[in-house]
Amino acid sequence: MPGFVCPEVPALKILVTVKLVPDTNADKRIDPATKRLVRTGVETVLNPFDEYAIEAALQLKEQLADGSTVTVVSMTPASGKEIVRKALAMGADDAVMLSDDALAGSDLWGTAVALAAAIKAQSPDLVITGTQSTDAISGDLPGMLAEKLGLPGLTNARKVEVADGRVRVQRETETGYMTLSAPLPALVSVTKSANEPRYPSLKGIMGAKKKEIKQVAAADLGLTVALGTDGAKAQLTDLATPPARGKGRVIQAADGAEGAKAIVDFLKERKFL
Amino acid sequence: MQHVIAFIEHKHGTIRRSSLEAATQARTLADQLGGKAHAVVAGAGAAQAVETLKRYPLDQIHVSDEDRFLDGAVDAVEAVAKAVGPALVLVGNTMIGRDVGSRFAARVDCGINADVVDFKTDGGQVSCVMPKLGGLVITTCTLTGSDYGVAAIRPNVFAAKETSGAGEVVQLPSSGKASAVTVEDEVEEAAAELGVEEASVVVSGGRGMGGPEPFTTILKDLADAFGGAVGASRAAVDAGWVSHGHQVGQTGKTISPQLYIAVGISGAIQHKVGMRTSETIIAINKDGNVPIGEFADLLVVGDAFAIVPELTKLVRDAKAVHA
Repeated sequence: MPGFVCPEVPALKILVTVKLVPDTNADKRIDPATKRLVRTGVETVLNPFDEYAIEAALQLKEQLADGSTVTVVSMTPASGKEIVRKALAMGADDAVMLSDDALAGSDLWGTAVALAAAIKAQSPDLVITGTQSTDAISGDLPGMLAEKLGLPGLTNARKVEVADGRVRVQRETETGYMTLSAPLPALVSVTKSANEPRYPSLKGIMGAKKKEIKQVAAADLGLTVALGTDGAKAQLTDLATPPARGKGRVIQAADGAEGAKAIVDFLKERKFL
Repeated sequence: MQHVIAFIEHKHGTIRRSSLEAATQARTLADQLGGKAHAVVAGAGAAQAVETLKRYPLDQIHVSDEDRFLDGAVDAVEAVAKAVGPALVLVGNTMIGRDVGSRFAARVDCGINADVVDFKTDGGQVSCVMPKLGGLVITTCTLTGSDYGVAAIRPNVFAAKETSGAGEVVQLPSSGKASAVTVEDEVEEAAAELGVEEASVVVSGGRGMGGPEPFTTILKDLADAFGGAVGASRAAVDAGWVSHGHQVGQTGKTISPQLYIAVGISGAIQHKVGMRTSETIIAINKDGNVPIGEFADLLVVGDAFAIVPELTKLVRDAKAVHA
């Protein structure tokens, strides 16, 4: 009946990418013999930057029409399942794990190609990522994914809104922010200032055990190009461990003048002054 | 790879220092590779940026007037890369630099290396040297499998040097494309200041600061005396004393200033990985047993609130003598 039809707010399919990283608070060591990260005693955790992306997705879902969903996508070995489950415990609806030995050792380009294929297969309306990972710290993946997906890329957002088929963000700049908007579907990367990620509740943790984690391999996505170590376009050719920084001078300063003088003497010695 | 293309980031024609570093490094690498050094500048104010670029050692300066946010720049870099042939694209490892570099790499399917602090060339091959895990390991990655490659250089590591350059200015044709992204407004919240990534001196405060006030007073004054920037530890940012843009550490920025002064920062691993590649590290802390003492060049144990203002005075005096 005309007149009784409410303007429909369509449900959105939101997709969040997550990565597993070594615990940020652990002191990491490189094994001098194998030149690999010593993983013993270093826990794997959800990349802290991705928690802001999950939180942003959950907040949007709560504001949007019923039927909106949040799907987590991660390119990770199958062993990462329990950590992916943390994102589900926070409130995401389901997850897709792209796990394939052929993808091991992928560089940024390979990761972007594979992850974009996994995202595309889900046909999301909105893709949300963190700004970077704490282990690689490149910050390049959001832009690469936007390009590979052919979506507008609104990166470094500290505020995200969706209305009338458009996404609007406040993009952080060095001196303030820019307001940017684009039609959906689009990709947004959110910064640490965007929100305060929630902790999974007990109910959430219990519920996550029943949520679906779909496993896909590169072949399922129709990926035929060489990925992983062999296909990498940035090939690791050397890994060196520089000598550790030694302990320097320690000076006890009885008052401000004494402390300041000790520093100035040191600065003069080092030719800063 | 034979040629080198520096992407120039600017604000209304004022070029970011990291882009001038890229322009200078483009020359060095182009000479090693036996190719030409190019610069690409796009958007409103590009003409003004060209005047600055003429003082840098470039063969050609390509100008695009397209103002489409990011897209205009990526299209311009792509057009130049396709025109000049096999080339390394240099961007500053900044928010805009990363956006442009990453999207170009995805578009042409080439490798990308982030946070590069050194280069090695061998024939036409380019390898990038990058500290990872906060300088715990130094990795070298060779760009391969494409005619192109991207390197995002860490600001403040490479020199920016003016010479009698006067590169040939080449105007790029307009594409007439519409942008999917609309810029609705741009808001300045703080006075334009040097970011921690680009400053050669960074004065950082941590939990020991006890509140927001020192970040705009004593730390700011000391940073200003050096012409540097104010940084912060995660504890200070999480407490809401200072904005996230100032954060140095694993969940903030990784920086290599010439001088890093850590005030009231214990130097836990979280912070250490963001700053341990600084050339010189000075710590001021009331506790002589803080972890930062294990790797700082100088640890002064005392009251920061008394030492810092006094130090600012002495630094100002010393600078005034030289001025």
